[in-house]
Amino acid sequence: MNRSLLILLGVLALCAALLGGSYAVSRRVCQTCMSKSVSDLDWLQQEFHLSAAEMARIQKLHEGYLPKCAEMCAKIAAKKSELETALGGTTNVNPIAQQKLAELAALRAQCQAQMLQHFTEVSQTMPPEQGRRYLAEMQRLTLGLHEQTIEPSMSESAGHEHHNQ
Amino acid sequence: MNKENINPAEAKLSTLLRASRVAPTLPPRFQEGVWRRIEEAAAPAKSNGGITWLDALAALVLRPRLALATAAVLIVAGALLGVRDGNQMAHQDAQARYLAVVAPNSLR
Repeated sequence: MNRSLLILLGVLALCAALLGGSYAVSRRVCQTCMSKSVSDLDWLQQEFHLSAAEMARIQKLHEGYLPKCAEMCAKIAAKKSELETALGGTTNVNPIAQQKLAELAALRAQCQAQMLQHFTEVSQTMPPEQGRRYLAEMQRLTLGLHEQTIEPSMSESAGHEHHNQ
Repeated sequence: MNKENINPAEAKLSTLLRASRVAPTLPPRFQEGVWRRIEEAAAPAKSNGGITWLDALAALVLRPRLALATAAVLIVAGALLGVRDGNQMAHQDAQARYLAVVAPNSLR
């Protein structure tokens, strides 16, 4: 192979290594530094530009909510374990398992309602615009609401189209 | 000086020899063959031009000043991109941490 071509290829490889190496190192360092000593609520402050007073109110709400959430999670875990026992490796869903499923769903619904209540309370401590954005974002992230879930195959088979207006 | 010393007999001999030289007849399509050989000789010169271009580029990138400047630019660009992406990832991590606390996976 031509010597000049080899040199150029080597230079290109070196350039790629320099760019990739500095990118990887700085990304890692930045991510590590940013993740250090951050609390669970840091995202709220960053994302919604909240003041210290607003953060203090949210912190109080947060601390009040966590034990309730943990209690509900424990109940859900216990119900799941009961469901697992009721299923007991059988291939069909027996009446007891059906009952456990219904109880589990009810517990989840109760827990979700409590969670939504907390989100609403937190959103009310924020400035109105940020509060609305927070609530919409949390509903999207936790319940999948406010997401565009148009399934083309379904709309085609139904014989109608969605129009953006 | 040599011409002056030439023997008249030798000069006569030379003239006779020159006159006796037979002009060879050119082989058929001689001219065409000459041009073909000239073209063939010129053809590698073209590819040599390509190699020269590569050589020039290789010499250019090996200049210490240019090499250092390029390396510095690449390092800075990579670092800036890394910081931007690192910030974004840290932001996503923070969001995931908040979500994991307020909305455990069993609810989502």
